[in-house]
Amino acid sequence: MKKQYACLVDSERCIGCFTCAMACRNYYHQEEGVVWREVYPLDEEIYPHRERAFFSLSCNHCEDPACLNVCPVQAYTKREKDGVVVHDQEKCIGCGNCIRSCPYGAPRYNPVEKRAEKCSLCHERLDADLQPACTQACPTGALSLVDLAAMEQTSQVQYPAGYPKMTQLNPSTRFILPKVPKMVRR
Amino acid sequence: MQSIEFPLVLFTVLSQAAIGIALMGAVRVAAGPDGGDAKRQWRMVAGLMVLGLIGSLFHLGHPLDAPDALKHLSTAWLSREVLFAGLFVGLAILAALIADKNGSAILSGAGALLGLAVILSTGMTYAPPAFPAVNNALPTVFFLVSAVTLGAGFASWFAGPGRQPLLARIFTSALIVGLVVNLVAPCVWLSGGEVMRMTGLAWFGSSLYWAHIAVMAASLAVIWKTRTIPMWLPILVLFGELVGRAGFFADTIHTAANMGGLY
Repeated sequence: MKKQYACLVDSERCIGCFTCAMACRNYYHQEEGVVWREVYPLDEEIYPHRERAFFSLSCNHCEDPACLNVCPVQAYTKREKDGVVVHDQEKCIGCGNCIRSCPYGAPRYNPVEKRAEKCSLCHERLDADLQPACTQACPTGALSLVDLAAMEQTSQVQYPAGYPKMTQLNPSTRFILPKVPKMVRR
Repeated sequence: MQSIEFPLVLFTVLSQAAIGIALMGAVRVAAGPDGGDAKRQWRMVAGLMVLGLIGSLFHLGHPLDAPDALKHLSTAWLSREVLFAGLFVGLAILAALIADKNGSAILSGAGALLGLAVILSTGMTYAPPAFPAVNNALPTVFFLVSAVTLGAGFASWFAGPGRQPLLARIFTSALIVGLVVNLVAPCVWLSGGEVMRMTGLAWFGSSLYWAHIAVMAASLAVIWKTRTIPMWLPILVLFGELVGRAGFFADTIHTAANMGGLY
Protein backbone atom coordinates (compact mmCIF):
# COMPACT_ATOMS: atom_id res chain seq x y z
CA MET A 1 0.00 0.00 0.00
CA LYS A 2 1.21 3.50 -0.87
CA LYS A 3 1.69 6.09 1.84
CA GLN A 4 -1.68 7.51 2.85
CA TYR A 5 -1.91 10.11 5.56
CA ALA A 6 -5.12 9.97 7.56
CA CYS A 7 -6.67 11.16 10.81
CA LEU A 8 -7.13 8.64 13.61
CA VAL A 9 -10.11 9.71 15.74
CA ASP A 10 -10.02 8.15 19.20
CA SER A 11 -13.55 8.69 20.51
CA GLU A 12 -12.65 7.19 23.87
CA ARG A 13 -10.25 10.07 24.44
CA CYS A 14 -12.24 12.86 22.72
CA ILE A 15 -13.94 15.18 25.21
CA GLY A 16 -15.70 17.33 22.60
CA CYS A 17 -13.72 20.46 23.44
CA PHE A 18 -13.61 21.71 19.81
CA THR A 19 -9.92 22.63 20.17
CA CYS A 20 -9.21 20.88 16.84
CA ALA A 21 -11.88 22.92 15.06
CA MET A 22 -10.66 26.13 16.70
CA ALA A 23 -7.04 25.38 15.76
CA CYS A 24 -8.10 24.93 12.14
CA ARG A 25 -9.98 28.21 12.29
CA ASN A 26 -7.09 30.05 13.96
CA TYR A 27 -4.67 28.77 11.34
CA TYR A 28 -6.70 29.44 8.17
CA HIS A 29 -9.12 32.21 9.25
CA GLN A 30 -11.95 30.88 7.14
CA GLU A 31 -14.89 33.14 6.35
CA GLU A 32 -17.73 33.19 8.84
CA GLY A 33 -19.87 30.08 8.45
CA VAL A 34 -17.19 28.15 6.53
CA VAL A 35 -16.06 25.20 8.65
CA TRP A 36 -13.46 22.66 7.57
CA ARG A 37 -13.42 20.59 10.76
CA GLU A 38 -16.56 19.76 12.74
CA VAL A 39 -17.03 17.93 16.03
CA TYR A 40 -20.17 15.79 15.86
CA PRO A 41 -21.75 14.36 19.03
CA LEU A 42 -22.92 10.76 18.61
CA ASP A 43 -26.69 10.31 18.85
CA GLU A 44 -28.06 8.66 21.96
CA GLU A 45 -29.29 5.78 19.76
CA ILE A 46 -25.61 4.97 19.12
CA TYR A 47 -24.09 5.89 22.47
CA PRO A 48 -26.89 5.77 25.09
CA HIS A 49 -25.02 7.05 28.11
CA ARG A 50 -24.99 10.20 30.20
CA GLU A 51 -21.40 10.76 29.06
CA ARG A 52 -21.21 11.92 25.48
CA ALA A 53 -18.95 10.70 22.68
CA PHE A 54 -17.78 12.64 19.63
CA PHE A 55 -16.35 12.30 16.14
CA SER A 56 -14.02 15.07 15.03
CA LEU A 57 -14.26 15.09 11.24
CA SER A 58 -12.98 17.01 8.24
CA CYS A 59 -11.98 15.84 4.76
CA ASN A 60 -11.31 12.08 4.73
CA HIS A 61 -8.77 12.21 1.87
CA CYS A 62 -10.51 9.23 0.25
CA GLU A 63 -8.72 6.73 -1.96
CA ASP A 64 -11.23 7.44 -4.76
CA PRO A 65 -12.54 10.91 -3.87
CA ALA A 66 -16.00 11.94 -5.09
CA CYS A 67 -14.92 15.60 -5.12
CA LEU A 68 -12.00 14.88 -7.45
CA ASN A 69 -14.06 12.70 -9.78
CA VAL A 70 -16.95 15.12 -10.20
CA CYS A 71 -15.00 18.40 -10.40
CA PRO A 72 -15.44 19.64 -13.99
CA VAL A 73 -12.37 21.89 -13.89
CA GLN A 74 -9.89 19.47 -12.27
CA ALA A 75 -9.42 21.70 -9.25
CA TYR A 76 -8.75 18.65 -7.04
CA THR A 77 -5.61 16.53 -7.03
CA LYS A 78 -4.58 13.59 -4.88
CA ARG A 79 -0.91 13.87 -3.94
CA GLU A 80 1.10 10.81 -4.99
CA LYS A 81 3.52 11.10 -2.10
CA ASP A 82 1.02 10.99 0.78
CA GLY A 83 -2.53 10.61 -0.59
CA VAL A 84 -3.68 14.03 0.60
CA VAL A 85 -6.52 15.46 -1.52
CA VAL A 86 -5.79 19.12 -2.26
CA HIS A 87 -8.20 21.69 -3.70
CA ASP A 88 -6.75 24.42 -5.93
CA GLN A 89 -9.09 27.34 -5.31
CA GLU A 90 -7.68 29.33 -8.25
CA LYS A 91 -9.05 26.72 -10.67
CA CYS A 92 -12.48 26.46 -8.96
CA ILE A 93 -15.43 28.08 -10.77
CA GLY A 94 -17.80 27.68 -7.81
CA CYS A 95 -20.22 25.20 -9.44
CA GLY A 96 -20.87 23.44 -6.12
CA ASN A 97 -20.67 19.97 -7.67
CA CYS A 98 -18.09 18.76 -5.12
CA ILE A 99 -20.22 20.12 -2.25
CA ARG A 100 -23.25 18.21 -3.54
CA SER A 101 -21.23 15.04 -4.18
CA CYS A 102 -19.09 14.49 -1.08
CA PRO A 103 -21.14 12.29 1.30
CA TYR A 104 -19.13 13.59 4.25
CA GLY A 105 -19.85 17.26 3.56
CA ALA A 106 -16.14 18.16 3.48
CA PRO A 107 -16.04 20.79 0.72
CA ARG A 108 -17.75 24.02 1.74
CA TYR A 109 -18.82 27.08 -0.22
CA ASN A 110 -16.94 30.29 0.51
CA PRO A 111 -19.53 33.03 -0.15
CA VAL A 112 -16.87 35.74 -0.36
CA GLU A 113 -14.53 33.98 -2.80
CA LYS A 114 -17.54 32.32 -4.49
CA ARG A 115 -15.54 29.10 -4.70
CA ALA A 116 -15.43 25.81 -2.80
CA GLU A 117 -12.76 25.03 -0.23
CA LYS A 118 -11.89 22.24 2.18
CA CYS A 119 -9.32 20.79 4.57
CA SER A 120 -6.06 19.91 2.82
CA LEU A 121 -4.60 18.23 5.94
CA CYS A 122 -2.29 21.27 6.24
CA HIS A 123 -0.21 19.85 3.38
CA GLU A 124 2.15 22.79 3.52
CA ARG A 125 2.85 21.94 7.18
CA LEU A 126 3.29 18.26 6.30
CA ASP A 127 5.87 19.27 3.70
CA ALA A 128 7.73 21.11 6.45
CA ASP A 129 7.61 18.00 8.69
CA LEU A 130 5.03 19.65 10.95
CA GLN A 131 1.75 18.22 12.26
CA PRO A 132 -1.58 19.53 10.90
CA ALA A 133 -2.97 22.32 13.10
CA CYS A 134 -5.84 20.15 14.39
CA THR A 135 -3.80 17.12 15.48
CA GLN A 136 -1.13 19.32 17.01
CA ALA A 137 -3.70 21.20 19.08
CA CYS A 138 -5.70 18.23 20.44
CA PRO A 139 -5.16 18.34 24.22
CA THR A 140 -6.11 14.70 24.89
CA GLY A 141 -4.36 12.98 21.98
CA ALA A 142 -7.74 11.96 20.60
CA LEU A 143 -6.91 13.22 17.11
CA SER A 144 -3.68 12.06 15.53
CA LEU A 145 -2.07 11.85 12.12
CA VAL A 146 -1.32 8.33 10.91
CA ASP A 147 0.03 6.72 7.75
CA LEU A 148 -2.37 3.91 6.82
CA ALA A 149 0.44 2.04 5.05
CA ALA A 150 2.50 1.90 8.23
CA MET A 151 -0.22 1.82 10.90
CA GLU A 152 -0.54 -1.36 12.91
CA GLN A 153 -4.06 -2.73 12.54
CA THR A 154 -5.50 -3.18 16.02
CA SER A 155 -8.84 -1.85 17.16
CA GLN A 156 -9.37 0.86 14.57
CA VAL A 157 -12.54 0.77 12.49
CA GLN A 158 -13.28 2.47 9.20
CA TYR A 159 -17.06 2.70 9.32
CA PRO A 160 -18.39 3.17 12.85
CA ALA A 161 -22.09 3.86 13.49
CA GLY A 162 -22.73 7.55 12.93
CA TYR A 163 -20.48 7.76 9.88
CA PRO A 164 -21.65 7.07 6.30
CA LYS A 165 -20.35 3.82 4.81
CA MET A 166 -19.04 4.65 1.34
CA THR A 167 -16.89 1.70 0.27
CA GLN A 168 -16.42 3.01 -3.28
CA LEU A 169 -14.77 6.17 -1.97
CA ASN A 170 -12.72 4.31 0.67
CA PRO A 171 -12.29 7.21 3.14
CA SER A 172 -8.96 7.18 4.98
CA THR A 173 -10.16 8.33 8.44
CA ARG A 174 -10.01 5.63 11.11
CA PHE A 175 -11.81 5.50 14.45
CA ILE A 176 -11.32 4.01 17.87
CA LEU A 177 -14.76 3.49 19.36
CA PRO A 178 -15.75 4.89 22.77
CA LYS A 179 -15.98 2.33 25.55
CA VAL A 180 -19.10 1.86 27.63
CA PRO A 181 -18.66 4.11 30.68
CA LYS A 182 -18.18 2.45 34.06
CA MET A 183 -21.41 2.65 36.09
CA VAL A 184 -20.96 3.27 39.81
CA ARG A 185 -24.08 2.56 41.89
CA ARG A 186 -24.46 3.45 45.57
CA MET B 1 -30.09 19.16 -1.73
CA GLN B 2 -31.09 21.77 0.84
CA SER B 3 -31.68 24.86 -1.31
CA ILE B 4 -33.95 25.53 -4.27
CA GLU B 5 -31.00 26.21 -6.63
CA PHE B 6 -33.16 28.36 -8.92
CA PRO B 7 -30.58 28.64 -11.76
CA LEU B 8 -30.31 24.83 -11.88
CA VAL B 9 -34.11 24.49 -11.77
CA LEU B 10 -34.32 26.84 -14.73
CA PHE B 11 -31.54 25.11 -16.69
CA THR B 12 -32.69 21.54 -16.12
CA VAL B 13 -36.39 22.15 -16.82
CA LEU B 14 -35.94 24.45 -19.85
CA SER B 15 -33.28 22.20 -21.38
CA GLN B 16 -35.50 19.17 -20.85
CA ALA B 17 -38.44 20.98 -22.47
CA ALA B 18 -36.18 21.76 -25.46
CA ILE B 19 -34.93 18.17 -25.65
CA GLY B 20 -38.48 16.85 -25.37
CA ILE B 21 -39.58 19.03 -28.30
CA ALA B 22 -36.60 17.74 -30.32
CA LEU B 23 -37.55 14.15 -29.44
CA MET B 24 -41.13 14.76 -30.58
CA GLY B 25 -39.74 16.37 -33.74
CA ALA B 26 -37.87 13.14 -34.47
CA VAL B 27 -41.06 11.15 -33.89
CA ARG B 28 -43.00 13.42 -36.25
CA VAL B 29 -40.34 13.29 -38.99
CA ALA B 30 -40.22 9.50 -38.68
CA ALA B 31 -44.02 9.36 -39.05
CA GLY B 32 -43.94 11.46 -42.25
CA PRO B 33 -44.97 15.04 -43.20
CA ASP B 34 -47.90 16.31 -41.11
CA GLY B 35 -48.34 19.91 -42.22
CA GLY B 36 -46.59 21.21 -39.12
CA ASP B 37 -43.76 23.74 -38.95
CA ALA B 38 -40.40 22.14 -38.02
CA LYS B 39 -38.47 25.41 -38.49
CA ARG B 40 -40.50 27.27 -35.85
CA GLN B 41 -40.19 24.23 -33.61
CA TRP B 42 -36.37 24.27 -33.86
CA ARG B 43 -36.45 28.01 -33.07
CA MET B 44 -38.27 27.24 -29.86
CA VAL B 45 -35.82 24.42 -29.02
CA ALA B 46 -32.86 26.79 -29.55
CA GLY B 47 -34.55 29.59 -27.59
CA LEU B 48 -35.33 27.37 -24.60
CA MET B 49 -31.80 25.93 -24.56
CA VAL B 50 -30.17 29.36 -24.75
CA LEU B 51 -32.43 30.62 -21.93
CA GLY B 52 -31.60 27.53 -19.83
CA LEU B 53 -27.86 27.84 -20.42
CA ILE B 54 -27.91 31.55 -19.51
CA GLY B 55 -29.88 30.63 -16.38
CA SER B 56 -27.34 27.94 -15.46
CA LEU B 57 -24.50 30.49 -15.43
CA PHE B 58 -26.06 32.16 -12.39
CA HIS B 59 -25.30 29.16 -10.17
CA LEU B 60 -21.57 29.51 -10.85
CA GLY B 61 -19.44 31.60 -8.55
CA HIS B 62 -17.37 32.60 -11.59
CA PRO B 63 -19.58 32.42 -14.71
CA LEU B 64 -16.90 33.78 -17.04
CA ASP B 65 -14.82 30.67 -16.37
CA ALA B 66 -17.69 28.36 -17.42
CA PRO B 67 -15.80 27.02 -20.51
CA ASP B 68 -13.26 25.49 -18.09
CA ALA B 69 -15.99 23.03 -17.11
CA LEU B 70 -15.10 20.99 -20.20
CA LYS B 71 -11.73 20.00 -18.74
CA HIS B 72 -12.65 16.79 -16.93
CA LEU B 73 -14.56 14.69 -19.46
CA SER B 74 -12.82 11.50 -18.28
CA THR B 75 -14.76 11.20 -15.00
CA ALA B 76 -16.97 14.27 -14.38
CA TRP B 77 -20.54 13.92 -15.63
CA LEU B 78 -20.89 17.69 -15.30
CA SER B 79 -18.17 18.15 -17.93
CA ARG B 80 -19.99 15.70 -20.20
CA GLU B 81 -23.27 17.52 -19.55
CA VAL B 82 -21.69 20.83 -20.58
CA LEU B 83 -20.25 19.21 -23.73
CA PHE B 84 -23.50 17.55 -24.81
CA ALA B 85 -25.61 20.62 -23.94
CA GLY B 86 -23.23 22.78 -25.98
CA LEU B 87 -23.43 20.43 -28.96
CA PHE B 88 -27.23 20.23 -28.65
CA VAL B 89 -27.72 24.01 -28.57
CA GLY B 90 -25.33 24.36 -31.53
CA LEU B 91 -27.34 21.81 -33.50
CA ALA B 92 -30.62 23.49 -32.53
CA ILE B 93 -29.38 26.90 -33.74
CA LEU B 94 -28.13 25.34 -36.98
CA ALA B 95 -31.45 23.56 -37.50
CA ALA B 96 -33.39 26.75 -36.76
CA LEU B 97 -31.40 28.43 -39.54
CA ILE B 98 -31.38 25.75 -42.25
CA ALA B 99 -34.34 23.42 -41.62
CA ASP B 100 -37.48 23.73 -43.74
CA LYS B 101 -41.09 23.32 -42.60
CA ASN B 102 -41.04 19.52 -42.98
CA GLY B 103 -37.84 19.10 -41.01
CA SER B 104 -34.83 16.92 -41.72
CA ALA B 105 -34.42 13.32 -40.65
CA ILE B 106 -30.68 13.82 -40.04
CA LEU B 107 -31.11 16.92 -37.90
CA SER B 108 -34.01 15.37 -35.98
CA GLY B 109 -32.14 12.13 -35.35
CA ALA B 110 -28.96 13.90 -34.28
CA GLY B 111 -31.01 16.24 -32.05
CA ALA B 112 -32.78 13.31 -30.40
CA LEU B 113 -29.50 11.45 -29.75
CA LEU B 114 -27.71 14.50 -28.37
CA GLY B 115 -30.76 15.38 -26.28
CA LEU B 116 -30.80 11.91 -24.73
CA ALA B 117 -27.06 12.26 -24.00
CA VAL B 118 -27.77 15.57 -22.20
CA ILE B 119 -30.52 13.93 -20.13
CA LEU B 120 -28.29 10.99 -19.18
CA SER B 121 -25.37 13.24 -18.21
CA THR B 122 -27.65 15.60 -16.25
CA GLY B 123 -29.20 12.61 -14.51
CA MET B 124 -25.79 11.24 -13.54
CA THR B 125 -24.61 14.67 -12.36
CA TYR B 126 -27.48 14.80 -9.87
CA ALA B 127 -27.06 11.19 -8.68
CA PRO B 128 -24.01 11.54 -6.39
CA PRO B 129 -23.30 9.19 -3.46
CA ALA B 130 -24.07 12.03 -1.04
CA PHE B 131 -27.80 11.68 -1.81
CA PRO B 132 -28.65 8.00 -1.26
CA ALA B 133 -32.27 8.47 -2.36
CA VAL B 134 -31.22 9.59 -5.83
CA ASN B 135 -27.83 7.85 -6.09
CA ASN B 136 -29.32 5.66 -8.82
CA ALA B 137 -31.19 5.95 -12.12
CA LEU B 138 -34.07 7.97 -10.65
CA PRO B 139 -32.81 11.46 -11.63
CA THR B 140 -32.43 10.27 -15.23
CA VAL B 141 -35.94 8.81 -15.12
CA PHE B 142 -37.39 12.01 -13.59
CA PHE B 143 -35.65 14.13 -16.22
CA LEU B 144 -36.65 11.89 -19.13
CA VAL B 145 -40.30 11.91 -18.03
CA SER B 146 -40.19 15.72 -17.71
CA ALA B 147 -38.66 16.00 -21.18
CA VAL B 148 -41.28 13.76 -22.83
CA THR B 149 -44.20 15.44 -21.03
CA LEU B 150 -43.06 18.99 -21.81
CA GLY B 151 -41.89 18.01 -25.29
CA ALA B 152 -45.21 16.45 -26.29
CA GLY B 153 -47.06 19.42 -24.82
CA PHE B 154 -45.07 22.12 -26.59
CA ALA B 155 -44.67 20.11 -29.82
CA SER B 156 -48.47 20.22 -30.16
CA TRP B 157 -48.09 23.95 -30.90
CA PHE B 158 -46.18 23.16 -34.08
CA ALA B 159 -47.70 19.86 -35.26
CA GLY B 160 -50.39 19.53 -37.91
CA PRO B 161 -53.86 18.24 -37.01
CA GLY B 162 -52.96 14.71 -38.12
CA ARG B 163 -50.30 14.35 -35.42
CA GLN B 164 -52.28 15.88 -32.54
CA PRO B 165 -53.81 12.56 -31.36
CA LEU B 166 -50.34 10.92 -31.32
CA LEU B 167 -48.87 13.77 -29.27
CA ALA B 168 -51.86 13.70 -26.92
CA ARG B 169 -51.31 9.97 -26.33
CA ILE B 170 -47.58 10.50 -25.64
CA PHE B 171 -48.39 13.45 -23.35
CA THR B 172 -50.98 11.42 -21.41
CA SER B 173 -48.69 8.38 -21.06
CA ALA B 174 -45.79 10.55 -19.85
CA LEU B 175 -48.05 12.25 -17.29
CA ILE B 176 -49.23 8.89 -15.95
CA VAL B 177 -45.64 7.57 -15.73
CA GLY B 178 -44.55 10.81 -14.06
CA LEU B 179 -47.33 10.63 -11.50
CA VAL B 180 -46.61 6.98 -10.69
CA VAL B 181 -42.82 7.49 -10.40
CA ASN B 182 -43.20 10.62 -8.28
CA LEU B 183 -45.68 8.94 -5.94
CA VAL B 184 -43.89 5.61 -5.67
CA ALA B 185 -40.29 6.82 -5.24
CA PRO B 186 -40.78 8.55 -1.84
CA CYS B 187 -42.81 5.53 -0.64
CA VAL B 188 -39.85 3.26 -1.45
CA TRP B 189 -37.46 5.65 0.30
CA LEU B 190 -39.50 5.34 3.52
CA SER B 191 -38.36 1.74 3.79
CA GLY B 192 -34.71 2.52 3.01
CA GLY B 193 -31.80 3.68 5.15
CA GLU B 194 -32.09 6.66 7.48
CA VAL B 195 -31.15 9.37 4.97
CA MET B 196 -33.46 7.86 2.33
CA ARG B 197 -36.26 7.76 4.90
CA MET B 198 -35.56 11.41 5.81
CA THR B 199 -35.74 12.28 2.10
CA GLY B 200 -39.07 10.45 1.72
CA LEU B 201 -40.50 12.31 4.71
CA ALA B 202 -39.13 15.63 3.43
CA TRP B 203 -40.73 15.10 0.01
CA PHE B 204 -44.09 14.09 1.52
CA GLY B 205 -43.96 17.13 3.81
CA SER B 206 -43.08 19.51 0.98
CA SER B 207 -45.58 21.91 -0.58
CA LEU B 208 -43.38 21.98 -3.71
CA TYR B 209 -43.76 18.20 -4.08
CA TRP B 210 -47.55 18.27 -3.66
CA ALA B 211 -47.93 21.27 -6.00
CA HIS B 212 -46.06 19.27 -8.68
CA ILE B 213 -48.30 16.24 -8.09
CA ALA B 214 -51.42 18.45 -8.17
CA VAL B 215 -50.40 20.03 -11.49
CA MET B 216 -49.71 16.61 -13.04
CA ALA B 217 -53.07 15.27 -11.79
CA ALA B 218 -54.94 18.37 -13.00
CA SER B 219 -53.24 18.17 -16.42
CA LEU B 220 -54.21 14.52 -16.67
CA ALA B 221 -57.82 15.39 -15.85
CA VAL B 222 -57.83 18.11 -18.54
CA ILE B 223 -56.40 15.85 -21.26
CA TRP B 224 -58.83 13.10 -20.24
CA LYS B 225 -61.69 15.56 -20.77
CA THR B 226 -60.48 17.34 -23.93
CA ARG B 227 -58.67 14.42 -25.66
CA THR B 228 -56.34 16.98 -27.31
CA ILE B 229 -53.70 19.23 -25.77
CA PRO B 230 -55.13 22.75 -25.22
CA MET B 231 -52.68 25.59 -26.06
CA TRP B 232 -52.39 26.66 -22.42
CA LEU B 233 -51.80 23.21 -20.92
CA PRO B 234 -48.03 22.97 -21.65
CA ILE B 235 -47.56 26.27 -19.78
CA LEU B 236 -49.27 24.79 -16.73
CA VAL B 237 -47.16 21.63 -16.99
CA LEU B 238 -44.01 23.76 -17.29
CA PHE B 239 -44.98 25.57 -14.09
CA GLY B 240 -45.51 22.20 -12.38
CA GLU B 241 -42.13 20.91 -13.52
CA LEU B 242 -40.36 24.06 -12.30
CA VAL B 243 -41.99 23.70 -8.88
CA GLY B 244 -41.29 19.95 -8.75
CA ARG B 245 -37.64 20.49 -9.70
CA ALA B 246 -37.28 23.11 -6.98
CA GLY B 247 -38.54 20.42 -4.58
CA PHE B 248 -36.05 17.90 -6.00
CA PHE B 249 -33.17 20.23 -5.14
CA ALA B 250 -34.55 21.55 -1.84
CA ASP B 251 -35.99 18.42 -0.25
CA THR B 252 -33.47 15.67 -1.08
CA ILE B 253 -31.39 15.06 2.02
CA HIS B 254 -27.58 14.97 2.06
CA THR B 255 -25.83 12.22 4.06
CA ALA B 256 -23.82 14.82 5.99
CA ALA B 257 -27.10 16.08 7.49
CA ASN B 258 -27.16 13.01 9.75
CA MET B 259 -23.51 12.78 10.78
CA GLY B 260 -23.29 11.23 14.26
CA GLY B 261 -26.69 9.56 13.80
CA LEU B 262 -27.69 6.13 12.52
CA TYR B 263 -27.44 5.52 8.78
